[in-house]
Amino acid sequence: MSTRMFGERITRTEDQRLVSGNGRYLDDLGHDALEAALVRSPHAHARIVDIDVTDALEVDGLVAIYTYEDLDGRMAEPLPLLIPHPSLTHGRTQYALAREEVNHVGEAVAMVVARNRYLAEDAAQRIRVEYAPLPAVVGIESARTADHLVHEDVPGNVAAVMVQQTGDADAAIDSAPHVLELELEIERSASTPLEGKGVLARWDDDDKSLLVHTSTQTATSVRQAIAAKLGLPVDRVEVVTPDVGGGFGVKIVHPWPEEVLVPWAACRLQQPVKWTEDRREHFVSSAHERGQLHHVRVGYDDDGRLLGLSVRFWHDNGAYVPYGLIVPIITSTQLLGPYKPAVYRVEFSSLYTNTVMVTPYRGAGRPQGCFVMERTMDAIAAERGLDRTVVRERNFILPAEMPYDQGLVFQDGRQLLYDSGDYPATLAKLKKLVGWDEFEAFRAQAAEDGRRVGIGLACYVEGTGVGPYEGGHVRVETDGSVVVSTGLTSQGQGHATMLAQIVADELGVPFDRIRVTTGDTRRFKYAVGTFASRTAVMSGSAVALTARKVRDKALRIASTALEAAVEDLEIVDGRVQVAGAPEAGIDLGTVAVLSNPLRYAFDEAAGAATQFATPADPNTPPVEAGEAPGLEAVDFYSPTRSTFANGMHAVVVETDPDTAEVRILRYCVVHDCGTLVNPMIVEGQIHGGVAQGVGGALYERLVYDEHGQLLNASFMDFLMPYASEVPTIEIDHLVTPSPLNPLGVKGAGEAGVIPGSAAIAAAIEDAEQVTIRRMPISPSELFDLRRKRT
Amino acid sequence: MTTETQVHVSLVVNGTRREVDVPARRLLSDVLRHDLGLTGTHVGCEHGVCGACTVLVDGAPMRSCLLFAVSVDGAEVTTIEGCCAADGSLGPVQAAFRDCHALQCGFCTPGFVTTVTAYLRENRAPTEAEAREAISGNLCRCTGYQNIVAAVLKSAEATVSEPANGDPA
Amino acid sequence: MNITGTTTLTADRATVWKALNDPAVLVATIPGCRRLEAVGDDTYRMTVSAGVGSVQGVYDGEVRLSDHEEPSSFRMHAQGSGAPGTIGADVSVRLEDHPDRGTVLSYDADAIVGGMIGGVGQRMLTGASKKMAEEFFRNVDAVLLAGTSPVAGEAQPDVPGAPQPAPAVAPGTVFTAPAAARRAGPGFATGVAVGAAAALLGALVGGWIAGRRR
Repeated sequence: MSTRMFGERITRTEDQRLVSGNGRYLDDLGHDALEAALVRSPHAHARIVDIDVTDALEVDGLVAIYTYEDLDGRMAEPLPLLIPHPSLTHGRTQYALAREEVNHVGEAVAMVVARNRYLAEDAAQRIRVEYAPLPAVVGIESARTADHLVHEDVPGNVAAVMVQQTGDADAAIDSAPHVLELELEIERSASTPLEGKGVLARWDDDDKSLLVHTSTQTATSVRQAIAAKLGLPVDRVEVVTPDVGGGFGVKIVHPWPEEVLVPWAACRLQQPVKWTEDRREHFVSSAHERGQLHHVRVGYDDDGRLLGLSVRFWHDNGAYVPYGLIVPIITSTQLLGPYKPAVYRVEFSSLYTNTVMVTPYRGAGRPQGCFVMERTMDAIAAERGLDRTVVRERNFILPAEMPYDQGLVFQDGRQLLYDSGDYPATLAKLKKLVGWDEFEAFRAQAAEDGRRVGIGLACYVEGTGVGPYEGGHVRVETDGSVVVSTGLTSQGQGHATMLAQIVADELGVPFDRIRVTTGDTRRFKYAVGTFASRTAVMSGSAVALTARKVRDKALRIASTALEAAVEDLEIVDGRVQVAGAPEAGIDLGTVAVLSNPLRYAFDEAAGAATQFATPADPNTPPVEAGEAPGLEAVDFYSPTRSTFANGMHAVVVETDPDTAEVRILRYCVVHDCGTLVNPMIVEGQIHGGVAQGVGGALYERLVYDEHGQLLNASFMDFLMPYASEVPTIEIDHLVTPSPLNPLGVKGAGEAGVIPGSAAIAAAIEDAEQVTIRRMPISPSELFDLRRKRT
Repeated sequence: MTTETQVHVSLVVNGTRREVDVPARRLLSDVLRHDLGLTGTHVGCEHGVCGACTVLVDGAPMRSCLLFAVSVDGAEVTTIEGCCAADGSLGPVQAAFRDCHALQCGFCTPGFVTTVTAYLRENRAPTEAEAREAISGNLCRCTGYQNIVAAVLKSAEATVSEPANGDPA
Repeated sequence: MNITGTTTLTADRATVWKALNDPAVLVATIPGCRRLEAVGDDTYRMTVSAGVGSVQGVYDGEVRLSDHEEPSSFRMHAQGSGAPGTIGADVSVRLEDHPDRGTVLSYDADAIVGGMIGGVGQRMLTGASKKMAEEFFRNVDAVLLAGTSPVAGEAQPDVPGAPQPAPAVAPGTVFTAPAAARRAGPGFATGVAVGAAAALLGALVGGWIAGRRR
């Protein structure tokens, strides 16, 4: 009896090994490897004068010490600038080991390899680097003022200036009946997955090949990068992603210095080499995000309709820009959310500072854009004396207007064209879920008890399923099991389960006979990676298309064997049968045998496919032209543009009248990611995203002092939410299927975090009648705002 | 030339006696993971905040990243691997985590499972608020905790007997 | 790679010059040197155990002394190989009288390192080489201080293994390091660096990673 898998809350296939302690994360591998430790700059900006390794030589177990001078060939060139853009006129990336200058605390200066990590750190500590400190540029303000430069050849610390506009926004604003100006700021935060980065490399000198394990979000691209840097043919390099303990964007950057240094050392030393970072290293040498300063001018009519919107912002991109302008481009475009201002202009400057570089963290610039737009809408509502949902409704793009062209270029280089979505319906659901219309009664009741409560909401639209493509490979083995591979990677999103559900339905095989591999270049070589909420859309669609091809082939082969028409056949529980007549059928495993005409039978089942066993037509070739042996297929999905998910969050907070602490009483989510493959997994993604949104609203900020020292580079001082800080999350779904892919899915991975700061700020404002333009907000900051108000 | 003195450490880990010779400064987490091959215990911060490294030492949940192996010489240690049932199948806490989708990347999970295992011995029928408080010393970046709370409650229902494999009674 | 250095020895220039050209001294003072066999005029086959970092191994090579200008300078040429590294070195040594007493020795070595040992990184190699050289010169200084001059017909020193006077070395003569000296000094027991100067005499980057022990 077959059950439909798609859309079901299937428990995950990954969990058996993960809950029993049998996960294989990077540091669990390579017990025989040498281990590396890095010497990192303690200065935010300095010239390197000398590196003295004499004292390190005393350390028993020391194997090698490398500095920039040891790097040869392309290893001596800067790391790649992954995403060039015409506006990125002054892109700078780092060297794998600092060449003459360091540009942030934590930049790698030397690498030590030793018998184990303890000894490597002993040696690293004894290496004396002499620096000549230079003035550090920290914060958007000092980057803008540019009294000092991060890179000598980058005037004004400006990496890029970019403008997009749909018309003359300034004119539209100037002629509008009402105008508001706002300044808004979001502080820097970071992905901080529980598992840091790690690399293990093994050079096989007999085979002249390199095998690299790395905790990455893109095995295929790391492979290309390593091959390029080491001067190896690509087909002599394989990259395997182990179990990854979270990514949230930070592991999409590649190659990290260590990702090329470790393989390079392994080749030189002809020994496996491993490096796993510790927590402090992650804070000072991975990547951060979120820091932006916005200036908004908006013109609107008496009803609160947006007549013109002009946003000017400054994006702190840290010391280097390997990921190009993706984050600020996403901010610029996704800021619009579900609205249609008559005219929109956005300009940003991406600025260098002597801090850790900035690359995507879940949301990738959307939280900032959402914060800006939603605070603006609330400000308009306040000024007009209108209900905050009413102002939004008046500006929504309506379902009848889909597809809606916002007139901008999105982060994939293609049109920002919303394909589907029903924003009024989403809002209606949200209002019902949170009890928007009944809130005033609740507030009055609470006030009688001396409690201060407030409600806020925020809406977002998220472009998901960014291209260029993803692929799938599906093969039915002769024992009836099904092997599925895709090139993109997993960091805990349950991809193996989700993709197996798709294949189970498309191919008609039992779910537990399917094995899925992700992120292994030995199994699948063409992929982009896991980011931008794209897996279900891209790999899901690719795998579905691939499974359909396999199904078609199976039916073709079976129809010959069963002497039945293809239209009369179905596949149920792994058996191809005449519809409604299961006794007339053959197992898919047998079809797999038949699909591969053999000379030699390696087991009994295979005997059926050998030349004397099968009654084949002697006048046609065993493998017909255009066919291939085996019951397998490869296919790719490459959409013309992204598909747009959306959602809305509503938050009820209580603020303490004395201590100004903020407590979240209710957190409601209405979420539309099109068709759901596994609702349990989608909800898990929302929960996790909301937790990070709460963190970003109330707790998470990375603090640099004016010398560029990161003051809170540990979990003790960088506050991530525990269970006590995250509320129970109430979720309702809306489904507007995507018209762009075979499954109708839209991405869901990042949604939970996008409107968090906006909704919570709105709720606190509502409770306190203060104006909040900066997030995160702490109790003492709220306290100060209260004082300023009175 | 620096060389390290080795110290002999004897532990009962998941019911089995293990003997190692390690430098005095070697952390318990590293001994478990690299010297004993029990890689289920994970290291997330090495400063005792995230809880991913939590193991039970003589029944009490402790941060193995903050312990020198030599300092627990003679102790009984239970790791995530020891929370399975005697026949190797999932123990009640592990099964509840799977059923409630209380893990995503799984990196923090071992620390939660050991913590919850110890907690449920003290409090067999927690309320939701108590369950949430019990897990508020462990960080998770993936799940938002909601399903972990549900898993604690589900484990409480399911835990009728002690988990096997050397757990102290 | 190129390394240079200067050091001061207690003995006078003439004594030092002779010592450095005396295989009996060399075998006792080159860190890790086990055996030195004369194969011709000023040419020796050498066996040394040494290493870089956590490595140690045994290597064989040949060293030839030339351009003698007693007592101010000479050159050493060395070739050596061990598993899996090779080195060729060219060292010039200059001796000058120290203004107060003793000798100022300066060396200038050019070396080409091949094979896998080249993989440990330049700074580690040069750093280790300098350390080795310094150790060697300390050893020479100590040996010269311990006994009276070992060369040119002086009285026999009391120190066991101290070099004996010999105006010329017959081919085939083998010098072995006294047990104490063979251990290349405290701190170098597990192998230190490829030496500079005299150690670069056959500076033979030794063995490779000793097994896969953790």
